[in-house]
Amino acid sequence: MKAYTITRDNLGAWLDALARDYTLIAPVREEESVSLFKPVSGFAEINLGYTNSTVSPKGWLFPQTEEMFFFSTGGDQITLADAQTPGPAVLFGLRPCDIKGILALDPVFNGAYQDCYYQKRRQDTILVGLSCTRVERDCFCTSMGGGPTDGGGADLLLTEIDGGYGIEVLTPRGEKLVNRYQQYFDADRENRVIPAREELGKKLAGHFTRNVDTTGLKEFLDQHFELPYWGELARRCLGCGICTYICPTCHCFDIFDQSPDGESGVRSRCWDSCMFSHFTRMAGGHNPRPTQKERVRNRFLHKLKYHRDRYNLDGCVGCGRCVTRCPVNIDIRQIIADLQEVARHE
Amino acid sequence: MSNCRHNPLKPYPATIVKIIDETPDVKTFQMVFDDPAVMESFRQKPGQVAQLSVFGVGEATISITSSPTRKGILEFSVKKVGMLTSALHCLEPGTKVGIRGPYGNHFPYEVMKGKDLLFIGGGIGLAPLRALIDFVLAEENRGDYGKIDIIYGARSMDDLCFKYDILDRWPQMPGTTVYTTIDRAEPGWEGHVGFVPAYLEEINPSPENKYAITCGPPIMIKFVLQALEKMGFSDDQVITTLELKMKCGIGKCGRCNIGSKYVCLDGPVFYLSQLKQLPPEF
Repeated sequence: MKAYTITRDNLGAWLDALARDYTLIAPVREEESVSLFKPVSGFAEINLGYTNSTVSPKGWLFPQTEEMFFFSTGGDQITLADAQTPGPAVLFGLRPCDIKGILALDPVFNGAYQDCYYQKRRQDTILVGLSCTRVERDCFCTSMGGGPTDGGGADLLLTEIDGGYGIEVLTPRGEKLVNRYQQYFDADRENRVIPAREELGKKLAGHFTRNVDTTGLKEFLDQHFELPYWGELARRCLGCGICTYICPTCHCFDIFDQSPDGESGVRSRCWDSCMFSHFTRMAGGHNPRPTQKERVRNRFLHKLKYHRDRYNLDGCVGCGRCVTRCPVNIDIRQIIADLQEVARHE
Repeated sequence: MSNCRHNPLKPYPATIVKIIDETPDVKTFQMVFDDPAVMESFRQKPGQVAQLSVFGVGEATISITSSPTRKGILEFSVKKVGMLTSALHCLEPGTKVGIRGPYGNHFPYEVMKGKDLLFIGGGIGLAPLRALIDFVLAEENRGDYGKIDIIYGARSMDDLCFKYDILDRWPQMPGTTVYTTIDRAEPGWEGHVGFVPAYLEEINPSPENKYAITCGPPIMIKFVLQALEKMGFSDDQVITTLELKMKCGIGKCGRCNIGSKYVCLDGPVFYLSQLKQLPPEF
């Protein structure tokens, strides 16, 4: 695949051009230690120095709240009108773990029943990855089969190199984007982009504070649903749902109607969480996951087993967000290690 | 990548054409799609479910209780238990609603050919079974199946759903026996009194060349399964249909999973042998 280089100045000019021609979604520093992916109007708003956004960028493809369609029941008729969807967009500055998160969501919203909302946004959005330059305390992507410079799944991958950035073209769509703005790019004549990225990856691989081994874990969980461990873990869990809110692979949602006048309104969907008791509670009162033990178990089995059963993909990409934000320090890396320990004693 | 000719989350407009009061808290809604082409192309199989919309209130997953052999109309029998079902119960014939589906797998009616069928239902649990009962009893299919036994019970006489079927229509069908019971004796009831599992043991049907299909309250299902096992039914001869909270109906919203299976895609119909492979989270 082709590679290019771009100077810092040209990167700014290119991003300004992208913001003009597309909806540009990029990391923005909101306040101390909070960065979010948001639509920006130009380079000046973008913070490329972030390591990991506070909330995952999945929200561009699968918004926290999304209008699905409008209904009106005037007279004898009911009319349904599609909600507007955004047009061509560039999701810029995705860290490799979050690219992998999108790859984990793809099969959920694909399949026999296509989720048109996700599919439309996914199709209209060009993904531009950004290799990591630092490893955060809670990062563990290398334990989940990823790496801080593994941009597979993006259309383009940027890597900071001496004096600017290297850009690798990973898909034909990425190639088209580069060609459209070729005035900003220089060909990678000395072939230094890929070796520089690989070198960076090797360097960062040694910076992870904690590595975990998932070998054999799924096979163990296949055979062991009931474990006292889940009860112990659940005693700490507050059921606040922050882990599911910031997770790049959580995809659960609720569907709800709003109709101020009872005749017309909108049907929307919004993120939901398997950590909440009402998530599975039926109208008649029966709840198949009645306590936090079943709910905690469901979340971690979803990440470590169910997603693999259904899609042959890990349900966790090792971004570390849930580790950082959990108010009671529930740490999926520790859970993996603990379960391996439980497995050894079984 | 995208192949979205049809948005599965958008319901088709439909009209309630008739409402039948079954019990004090169950009504059967007959519905017709507003677009005849949609009505024609909606091909449900017995045991499948649909999402019913009351616009402004929301959606709920309801089993389709009419047989696909009955063309041009869909029936949904709905017990008033929650927000959406309460809203449905307030509606009048002529009201516009939405329907999307059909969703889920179906009763294995092909595999059942040549067999006797034993239906065991309790309360509103007869609703999903009724789609299959009327399918096998339909003139064009009746010859494919053997003897049909239906054991059905409810708390009281008032709580029996589909009285016109269980007391009148089905007993008159060839090769069909209906056993009806209510939990406690009451004036005016001359039939059997007692719980469904006990009545099942009393009737003691032979498992030979037979499938048993059951649906009802969880406690009834539990004891029915035990009784069937005692009578010698194998786990591959026993079929049930599950109900879990669903929102999308298409395997995306994440709440109706039992282990890695989604009830909306991989169910709602399960052989007992399949249920025993799943974690006990339903």
